[in-house]
Amino acid sequence: MNDRGIWRGIVIALFLTFMIVPFLATVLFSISVRWDRTIFPEGLTLEWWDKVTSRSAFETTLTNSFIVSFATMLALAILVTPTAYWAHIRVPRGKPFIEFLTIIPFGIPGVVLALALIRFYSQVPLPLINTPNILVAACMVLALPFMYRPVANALDAIDIHVLTEAAQSLGAGLWQTMLRVIVPNIMPGIISGCLLVFSTVFAEFTLANLLVGTRFKTFPIYLVEFTRFDGRQASALAVISFVIAWLTSLLIIWIAGRGGRPAESLGAR
Amino acid sequence: MRNVTSQKRISAWLAWLGLAPFFLFGIAFEIIPVLTLARSSLTAKDALTLSNFERALTPMFIESFRNSIQLSAATACLGVMFGTIVAHAIVTTRNRFVRDAITALADVTTNFGGAPLAFAFIVVLGSTGVVTLILKMIGINLYPTTFRIYSIQGLTVAYLYFQLPLMILLIIPSLLGLRREWREAAINLGASPTQYWLRVALPILAPALLGGFLLLFANAFGAYATAWTLTGPDVNLVTVQIAALVRGEVQLDPALADALAMLSLAVMTLCVAGYQWLGGRAHKEAR
Repeated sequence: MNDRGIWRGIVIALFLTFMIVPFLATVLFSISVRWDRTIFPEGLTLEWWDKVTSRSAFETTLTNSFIVSFATMLALAILVTPTAYWAHIRVPRGKPFIEFLTIIPFGIPGVVLALALIRFYSQVPLPLINTPNILVAACMVLALPFMYRPVANALDAIDIHVLTEAAQSLGAGLWQTMLRVIVPNIMPGIISGCLLVFSTVFAEFTLANLLVGTRFKTFPIYLVEFTRFDGRQASALAVISFVIAWLTSLLIIWIAGRGGRPAESLGAR
Repeated sequence: MRNVTSQKRISAWLAWLGLAPFFLFGIAFEIIPVLTLARSSLTAKDALTLSNFERALTPMFIESFRNSIQLSAATACLGVMFGTIVAHAIVTTRNRFVRDAITALADVTTNFGGAPLAFAFIVVLGSTGVVTLILKMIGINLYPTTFRIYSIQGLTVAYLYFQLPLMILLIIPSLLGLRREWREAAINLGASPTQYWLRVALPILAPALLGGFLLLFANAFGAYATAWTLTGPDVNLVTVQIAALVRGEVQLDPALADALAMLSLAVMTLCVAGYQWLGGRAHKEAR
């Protein structure tokens, strides 16, 4: 029994080391004067943080990423929530088709999705190609499963038929029922979905790089540019990305824990 | 009477209209673009042909598929093995805090990839990275010959950063489904722990392990951002090749990119479909 305890401790310690050391090293690297000749950094400084955050491109790219992430998140919430509710309550036979469309994104590599969208929308006279609009649409496809799963799970966890009938027998219309009764009941699911979409899109590089590139620079594109010419400033940007991803994820976990019903946020990327 | 049923039928059909916005979105941004891609990959000079695929079989592109498949298979294998071991350690620990904290960590890190991850690994294992320096001090020289982070080897290590947590999250439900009584029954009947694992636990876990392998494989096969940041155009992967064709860095006809894209789409679809099928089976058996 004791042997197994030791074995378990070693496995967990190795795993934690592997997962945490890269992050800590990046943090330390971003505040080191120099850290490429010695085991310990040669002095600490905030110079790289100062330099990288004072550039105008820093603010622009951060804002751009926030815009794309929020737009994708809102659009998906508005598209997916009523659809999932309607399918659950009125068209259960539509669910397999919906689920099919939410599984497709797992099977399409980012580069292929970008190529497919360019091929089709460059022939169509819509204000999409080469604009942030196409990036939002592509990010919606990418993040669709992350929105649908938590919302559908939240709907499964409550008795929506009883709630809907109760609301309607009290005279509520369809929209009233959905907005005032159903949505508050599945709020933890919707918020988990939104946060998951947000953190996925915020870190998205492939689609942004191929669909809009330098026309609408996002934060990850800015970061990749920096890794090519100044590692120390890049490390500060990497730390910001890490922190945003970890904060949103911790929020999701906290909400899931508080809601009592785990809004299954896993399920593959 | 007949009037009522036909009215019901009409309202059932009308109910489908409520799903129209979602289906329109899916058709406009998933189905039609992919079909457009498929058609253009199968067309040359306005005729249906496989010639684009034939031309895609140049040594360079064949190598890119070989590299991508090797990288995906290696990280999926390692991910399944170590992920299951860590997940087993997590589910058997009696310390609730450790269990919750590590599950949370896996949740956070499995969605983490791309540029920041690549950069973090350069800091740790690059030619002047901290682990590289420590190893050098104790007499192990990684560079220039033993190991390079800017290579397929390096990508294997970096990919594990999101593959391991994904496997842990996928396999935990199955590990929790292994009942304590089965182990006790096997031991009472004279089985050693090894025999219990090989003859009882692993066969039960097999669909979940295989499904995990397929999903991890697809996860690595479609990845681009991490590879691009870490190695640039130096490592010949399918996604790197397609991206270069999309950006027009290489002067080649567009139909070739489409053919490559369709081939990689086929690989991914097989993996995801296999995962879904195995998942459905595991679900039925659990009932």
